[in-house]
Amino acid sequence: MEINPITIRTLSMLGQRGVFGLAFMDVAETDRNIIALSADLCNTSGLDRFRTKYPDRFFNVGIAEQNMVGVAAGLAAAGYVPFATTFANFAALRSCEQVRHFLGYMKENVKLVGFGAGFSFGMFGTTHYALEDVAVLRAINNLVILNPADGLEVLKATHAAAKINAPVYIRLSGVMNNPIIYKSDYVFEIGKAITLREGMDVSIITTGSMVDLALKAAALLEADGVSAEVVNMHTIKPLDVYAVEKACAKKLIVTVEEHSRIGGLGSAVAEVLTSNTRRPIQIILGTGDEYLHAGDFQHMLESHGLTALQIAKKISNTYKEVVK
Amino acid sequence: MTNVEKYTQAFVDAFSIDAETAMTLKFQQIPAWDSVGHMGLVAQIEEQFGIMMEPDDIVDLNSFDKGKEMLGAKYGVDFAS
Repeated sequence: MEINPITIRTLSMLGQRGVFGLAFMDVAETDRNIIALSADLCNTSGLDRFRTKYPDRFFNVGIAEQNMVGVAAGLAAAGYVPFATTFANFAALRSCEQVRHFLGYMKENVKLVGFGAGFSFGMFGTTHYALEDVAVLRAINNLVILNPADGLEVLKATHAAAKINAPVYIRLSGVMNNPIIYKSDYVFEIGKAITLREGMDVSIITTGSMVDLALKAAALLEADGVSAEVVNMHTIKPLDVYAVEKACAKKLIVTVEEHSRIGGLGSAVAEVLTSNTRRPIQIILGTGDEYLHAGDFQHMLESHGLTALQIAKKISNTYKEVVK
Repeated sequence: MTNVEKYTQAFVDAFSIDAETAMTLKFQQIPAWDSVGHMGLVAQIEEQFGIMMEPDDIVDLNSFDKGKEMLGAKYGVDFAS
């Protein structure tokens, strides 16, 4: 797929789920062993074009996510490269044991694609939110976890996942009209974070849909006299340890994620910091240890204090305490 | 290039069709104009006219004629010249 302003705008409008469908078509054309599985969510996964073009490479297993992971693992053992797709909460929570055994333990080359992560499903409510998926899957050995920031990064992540011979979880978040983070082509490398904005005082390490809001928060902080860098940690596992260690030069490290504050990116960063003798204070911004009333995407961000303004205020208040 | 030609070109580029086919086209009349192709078309139109379409208008754009009418009424595109 040619990367130009029209493509990037199209990817933005499609949202991450829609982009995955396009990206997968792109990837599948390069290798006929690449196949798709769906737990009865073909159109929702953006895979309808693929199913039409390659009916013999698409398998709908029905509403049976655990079975889907098992079938995908079997096909991977036979030399295929299966992309198994479903809602992120079902991929991570319902299929957890199958992911642990077949992807983690047996290292089958399955790409598990979880879409609608975080609050993407808005009014579908808590049963369809994925706020614990990273915590659960991060604890499973050998699994790579990718959380793209925008449409173009979904394209990059899908290609990168197809290229490596390892089990991967691709976490797709946000809604349609995804903000554009990357306005032109760039190099995406699994495990290598990208600094999107330089800053002297604070390091904001973030991922997925929160990258855009972290950039906006950094702009608000600048007006408040606080210089914040923003690091896109698109790969949550393996974590870019060097990027975290580099952030230790700042006075404050902040992690921001559309996920529980327990076990996600914030925890992963803290695990690095805890063995570092010179480290600043870290604050972890994410969802709290409670299930709030459901609402649309924007409402849920506000409820959990994750709008750009709320993020900036929290950082500013903590930073002022730190430098007092 | 006139605005009519630019508008038609957006369809031609988005769906790899000829101009004659474009001028009578409706949503989902051809396989390429599905929900994915729709976003590609909107991006092409935006690029041609240097505009950013509102979400409601993106949804309402369901035919060549409808889009032309919308661009004229809401985005100040003059198709007469």
